[in-house]
Parts: sequence; C-alpha cells; structure tokens
Amino acid sequence: MTVFDIAIVGGGPAGLAAAERTLAAGLSTCVIDEQQRPGGQILRQPPSAFSVPGWLTGAPYRKGRALLANVSDDAKLHWLGGQSVLGITPDPAGETGFTLALSGTMGGVSEVRAKRVLVAGGCYDMPVALPGWTLPGVMSAGAVQTLVKAQQVLPGQRIVLFGTHPLMIVLAKQIIEAGGQVEAVCFAQSLKRMAKAALAHLPRAIATPAPLIAAAGGMAALRRAGVRIRYAAPVLRCEGEGQGGVEQVVIAGPNGEEALACDLAAMCYGFLPQADLVRQAGAGVRWSRPAGGWEAVHDGAMRSTVPGLYVAGETTGVAGSDAAMAEGAIAGLAIAQDAGALNEREAATAMRGPRSARKAMQGFIGLLRAVADPCPWLPAASAETLLCRCEDIAAGAVDRAIADALSVGPSFGASAIKLRCRAGMGLCQGRSCEHALVRRIAAARGCGEGEVEGFRPRFPARPLAIADLLEDAG
Amino acid sequence: MRRIEQGVTRPEPIAVEIDGASVMVHPGETVAVALLASASRRFRDDRSGAARGMFCNMGTCSECTVWAALGTSPWRRLRGCLMPVEPGLRISTREPEAMP
Repeated sequence: MTVFDIAIVGGGPAGLAAAERTLAAGLSTCVIDEQQRPGGQILRQPPSAFSVPGWLTGAPYRKGRALLANVSDDAKLHWLGGQSVLGITPDPAGETGFTLALSGTMGGVSEVRAKRVLVAGGCYDMPVALPGWTLPGVMSAGAVQTLVKAQQVLPGQRIVLFGTHPLMIVLAKQIIEAGGQVEAVCFAQSLKRMAKAALAHLPRAIATPAPLIAAAGGMAALRRAGVRIRYAAPVLRCEGEGQGGVEQVVIAGPNGEEALACDLAAMCYGFLPQADLVRQAGAGVRWSRPAGGWEAVHDGAMRSTVPGLYVAGETTGVAGSDAAMAEGAIAGLAIAQDAGALNEREAATAMRGPRSARKAMQGFIGLLRAVADPCPWLPAASAETLLCRCEDIAAGAVDRAIADALSVGPSFGASAIKLRCRAGMGLCQGRSCEHALVRRIAAARGCGEGEVEGFRPRFPARPLAIADLLEDAG
Repeated sequence: MRRIEQGVTRPEPIAVEIDGASVMVHPGETVAVALLASASRRFRDDRSGAARGMFCNMGTCSECTVWAALGTSPWRRLRGCLMPVEPGLRISTREPEAMP
C-alpha cells in the first residue's frame, strides 16, 4: 500500500494551505474530504457538472479562491473527495505513521497510510436546542449557506435568521442576491451591547480592516433591500402544526411575544470546532472560549500533543478562513521540516509571513468572538425539547440523569450521562448534543465547562454500515 | 425549495425515485436537494412519529440519513447531503420492507 508523506484531513482553507506547502517541499500529499470537490464549507464549490460564472466573487473570498485554484491545479495532489475519515490510528510502537480508515459517500471502506497526518477538519454550526428546533425547515445557517453557494438552491421562500452571530448579515445578503426573501434577521443581543463589545476590541481589530468593511457593506445591502434587522429579539421557540414543518418563530419582542411567519428558520449562534478525530487519536483539546466545543491544542508550529499529528484551522479554535490559511501554511512548513524536506532555518524563515499575518488577525478575531458570544443568549430548552436529535432524548430526561449522577458524586462527565439516558449514542456521535450536555453538567456541578470530561470519542467518527466493516474484514 | 436560475447552467435533468414517486433532478445535485425538490421537507420520522428534516448540510449531524439503492443493489442508509444523485437511484424515507 502507498504510504503518503502526509495525509491531510479536510480540503478547506487550512488543509489546502498546508498542501500547498507540503507539495512545494516535494512531499507526497493526499487530501481527504467528505465533499466531492475541494474548498471546504467556506468555498463549497458547485458540482463540476454545473456552470456558475458568478460564484463567490466577493472580496472576502478572493484569497481563498486563489489558493483553491492553485492547489486544485497541482497534478501532484492526491485528492480523495467524497470520503469520510472514520478514525486515525497511530501505527504500532517502533513504526512512525498512521492508518486512516475511510468510507465512501455511497458506502464501502478503505484505508490510507501516511507518515504524518494533519487534521484540518473545520467547524460546524452550533446546534442549539430550543422548543420546535426539530421541525423540518429549522436548520443551521451553514446548511442554508451551503445550499445556496454549492447546490444553488434556496431551501425556503420566507426565511428568518436568528441567533447571535454576525454571519447572519453575510448570509442574508447572499439569500437576497439569490432572489430569496429574508423576513427578518433576529439578533438575541441588543445593538448597544454589540457596539460596546466591538468598541473594546476596535483598536486592535483595525489592523485587519477588510472584514469590518465587508460587514458594513453587508449591513448597507440589507438596508437597501429593506430587510428588517432586529436586535434584542431572542427567539423563544419555533412552531408548526402537523407534519408540514416550521410555520413561525416566536421572539421575545419589546411588547411581549411576537410571531414571525416563515417557511425556513436558520439558527446562527456560532460554530464548534470539528475535533473528534483529534480526540479519538488521543491528542489534547481544551474547551473553546467563549462559544464552546473542544479545540485542539498545539505548539507554535501546529503540532498536536501526539507526535506526527498536526492540527490547523477551525479544529484549533474558530477564527475564520484567513486565520485557517495562515495556520495551514505554518503546519505545512512544520510538516516539511519534520520530514526533513526543509531545514530549521528555512522553515523558520518561511513561517515568518503566515505567523505575522495570523498575529495581526487576532484583534478582529477577538472582536468577533466578543460580539457574537452566544453564551448569555442561548435559548432555554423545555423539558420536552430533544437535546439528542439522534436518539430522541429530551432535556428533561438528560436533567434527570444529571441529577442521578450528581447524587452519586460530583466528578462525572458526559459519558456517565450517555450511559444513563442514551444521549449522544446516535449517528452523529454526540456532535449535536455534547456541548449542551457539558454546559448542563457544568451548571449542575458548579464548575467550568472545561473541567467536565466530554464523551469518550469512538470509532467510527462518521456513520458506517456494519456490512461494510464485515465485507472489509472478510 | 427553489432552484436559483439566474447565472446557473445545469445539466439536463434525470429522474430518481423518492418513496415510489418519480422526481426530476439535475446531475450534481445531492439526495438532500432531491428530497427538498420533491416539495417535502420531511426526511424521516422520529420515534414519536414526528416528521424530521435536514439540519446541517455538511455531513456532521446525520439528520438527512435516508435509505438509498442504486438499481438492484441492496438498500443502504446514507447521509443524503453528501450523496450526489445518479440515474436509477431510489430513495426511501422509511425503512424499506424488501430489497429493490
């Protein structure tokens, strides 16, 4: 079997930036991604059978698109699209390398071997449980955005966006440009609070003014289109009769409850790092501040705590695609150095550019995190609200399990609750409910979320038919 | 669901089967979009019998998992947002009783 010098999990900005460097250093490089084409979620490409000449022409996408074009055109890149990584196993002691187990989007399993692995898994929309969130037509903002960007469809006619994250402005603009109708954009927090959070970070954030200019442009475009942006308008619940799906969202308005009619409601409370493969491989993570989830820890050259395993981009903490590209470049250079393709001085010199770029972004990243912080505004689930969407476990059942565990002793984690009530046992491997469980456990125990142990990450990280494993073993 | 027409050229549509009904889709579209195109937002029923839809569209939440079969191959449960449509594809939002 081919042993790649480096296997990169994730073909988004971080993974592609790393591949650019490892390919330039002459390393045999494969990039594995669940999508058919490279780009990640931010640059999720339309199918190759489509022609979309005006795809993502905006300034914020320019740098990423140049990288995408450059790496996609490199004949030396070994692209493994439409493949899910199920697990990363370090080779037995004495050997240096990893085996990655893969499954195809149409089924079937395979393996890839590599001397080194970079996990650049990106992030995903934080799933936030509120009454009615399991109705068809309630989805994540990222779902709507990728349907518009890549599949070129509008999944609803009358759309309400709600949450705390300013990405809603970008998405609303994209929906309008695609000919859709945005009924309202509902920020849970007040404009005053957002402005206060922004002002505190502004002196450092203006080091990278481009995203601030883009945000202002987005607001202006929404004003011109007559889209109503509501502040201090937290969504309480989503409602719909019968089996048809969502029909309205109910917000706490200035004069009491207010219903906004819609056929699509998209939530946008921020993003969680995709770190389950990193955790499964035994590498260190910490609770991500402020939004939550687990982010991979690393040294100054993006090396994880497991030798030979590197991390970059949103997997290490959600910071946007420009930061992901810088981190990916640093990781790619570190990999080249550790593989002996660059000496220490060459690597250090080459890292200088992406390191200073990454440092300059920290001001804006801090601003965005402060403005978008969902924690004070997470809506309350009712006892009947499903926290675990896969196994249909309601918040009330989770809270009873937490009370039970607490009566035994104070030092339990998410796995103890999973064993008691099956929350997190389903197809998504806990990606949807784990953060909610950790928050509830922390509140019950009276400790910080970072002190609560998350689910023990299990193989396979993505759903897989048992028949595929048996066939492979046979 | 509505397809964005302006500035987008798609290949000629093909027919796929969803819960026994024929639905026209374009090659390159995903099974999730085929389901949305069938004018239903329901992808499955949960344990209480309530209709459920897709959620993340990036392979992470598995809410779009449906049964799919190509021609005479056995039914498989797969994430609809990751799977491109193909001629001869059959999709079921309920557990199929027999092999196709």
